[in-house]
Amino acid sequence: MKKTLAVGVIASLAIVLSGCTDSEATPTPGSTDSDLRPVRVAALPITETAALWGGIAAGIFERHGLAVEVLPAQGGAYAIPAMINGDIEFTVGQPFGPFRADLQDLGVVMIGNYASSYADGEDINAVVASAASGITRPAELAGRKVSVNSLGAAGDVTIMAAVEADGGDPSTIEFVEVPFPDVPAQLEAGNIDAGWVPEPFVTALVSRGDTLVVYPYQATIPGLPTLTTFTTTALIERDADLVADFAAAMKETLEWAQDPANETAVRQAIKDNLELPEAVADTVKLPEFGWELDRASMEELAELAVKYGVLDRMPNFDRLIQQH
Amino acid sequence: MAVRSTRHRRWLRKTTLGIAGLVGFLTVWQLIPTLGIVDAQYLPHVTDVAVRLVNELRDLAFWRRLGDTMTAWAIGLAIASSAAVALGTVVGLVPFLRRATHTTVEFLRPIPSVALIPLAVLMFGIRMQAALVIIVFASFWQVFVQVIYGVADIDAVARDTARSFGLTRRAQLRHLVLPTALPYLMTGLRLAAAVALILAITAEMVIGNPGLGRMIELSRSAGDAVGLYALVVVTGLLGLTINIVFRFIERRTLSWHQSIRGEEVL
Repeated sequence: MKKTLAVGVIASLAIVLSGCTDSEATPTPGSTDSDLRPVRVAALPITETAALWGGIAAGIFERHGLAVEVLPAQGGAYAIPAMINGDIEFTVGQPFGPFRADLQDLGVVMIGNYASSYADGEDINAVVASAASGITRPAELAGRKVSVNSLGAAGDVTIMAAVEADGGDPSTIEFVEVPFPDVPAQLEAGNIDAGWVPEPFVTALVSRGDTLVVYPYQATIPGLPTLTTFTTTALIERDADLVADFAAAMKETLEWAQDPANETAVRQAIKDNLELPEAVADTVKLPEFGWELDRASMEELAELAVKYGVLDRMPNFDRLIQQH
Repeated sequence: MAVRSTRHRRWLRKTTLGIAGLVGFLTVWQLIPTLGIVDAQYLPHVTDVAVRLVNELRDLAFWRRLGDTMTAWAIGLAIASSAAVALGTVVGLVPFLRRATHTTVEFLRPIPSVALIPLAVLMFGIRMQAALVIIVFASFWQVFVQVIYGVADIDAVARDTARSFGLTRRAQLRHLVLPTALPYLMTGLRLAAAVALILAITAEMVIGNPGLGRMIELSRSAGDAVGLYALVVVTGLLGLTINIVFRFIERRTLSWHQSIRGEEVL
């Protein structure tokens, strides 16, 4: 018994003496500065969030008097309840969260855009079919099993629209919910015929021989916003200055991230915050960052959602969208 | 001397068997990706996971996350077990209360506490308090039910004896209730400790409050299977350690009890 203990102590000492590292050693600048107002922001732990992380590291929020803490909100399901409860101030997330919140009169307001897909060229997400499925074009997705990360959102809505535009029957598509990281394994196992995935999975799948079927956003609403920034009417009424300062900092951050000169810093933010392999972080396609909300595209998306029965009715866009 | 050597031999056999089981498990794990039964991309080799594990152990960020998880675990377990001991003793000692609460307890107990996450987040936001709601709810019942049974299990003869000797209420609690309920309580605590760990990590995975669970989710969403399994191994080791520690405490506090004494004689 004593011997085992001694071996354990020696082993742990060896580990300690061989040098500890601290992967979080980059201290958040000015976190000790009491003049800064604390702000908690929920964002998805995905490569797109690099602009926000990068902007914080570059000190943009600090210049606007804000100390931002980013919380990874899985799927964003708990971001809106936490925001209504007052635990967090802002959320960067997909537009369907605010759409539904508005339909339920939860007092959620979109104050700015965050990231958008590309109107032409390679887009940031795609439907990829396994080679075995033989699917090559959108119409052939009809009657097949297609995965999206969450049902009843921009993924299945735009896929249905793309299939219909190509002459297929969108009502026959069998949608299943598969988290993005699990799609490669599910495609390989044959449990799904095609999957909707963002980068870096698109590149990984295509390079192993799967077929890129369609960019559903580009095919349906070119340049569709993928992530928007939202908060609550309660916060706007309570602390309009905070919202204004945050909006100004976000605008500056997104312009900073969009500037090709800062791409290295943005990609460094991916490496600092996500456990992605270096090579992936260096090559993954980034979206178009920008603060101006594209209301027309979002109304079009909501109309499609109503048409396909994903939403009961149109959200009140006059109330929902308040560009800051 | 003879007793000592048989005990030593038994200990040796137990340890050898334990090690053999572990080695067997690791070999099977290593073989599955090596033989291509499962792609190494999804189930990485043991060796890769071990290397990553050592690297994680050298990272202070890992220890902070471990600290977050264990803090939530300890606070949750402490709240749950003290509440359960207090309420369980009262309810267990009063037959009227026991009958009155029985149905409610049997209704509440099987509710998966994960189902309460939306409520917890609405109440406390993306913070440790929300995780505590889940942890406390799940581990409370483990202790509570055991305490109720333990307190109610008092031997009738012993109780009558205590009464005829005129023991005060306090003395009865000390000399009658406590020794009867203690083995039940220790079992309840050991079960609750394991359940609290499971829920501390689940809560972090689903809610996203800092800790090992959140690291597991981050590794998963990055498709980093090696990192994911390294953390899964850590959670397994944690569970094992907690079990060993609680068994040790159990054996120490119940050294007088026949269930423990009996084990030594066998």
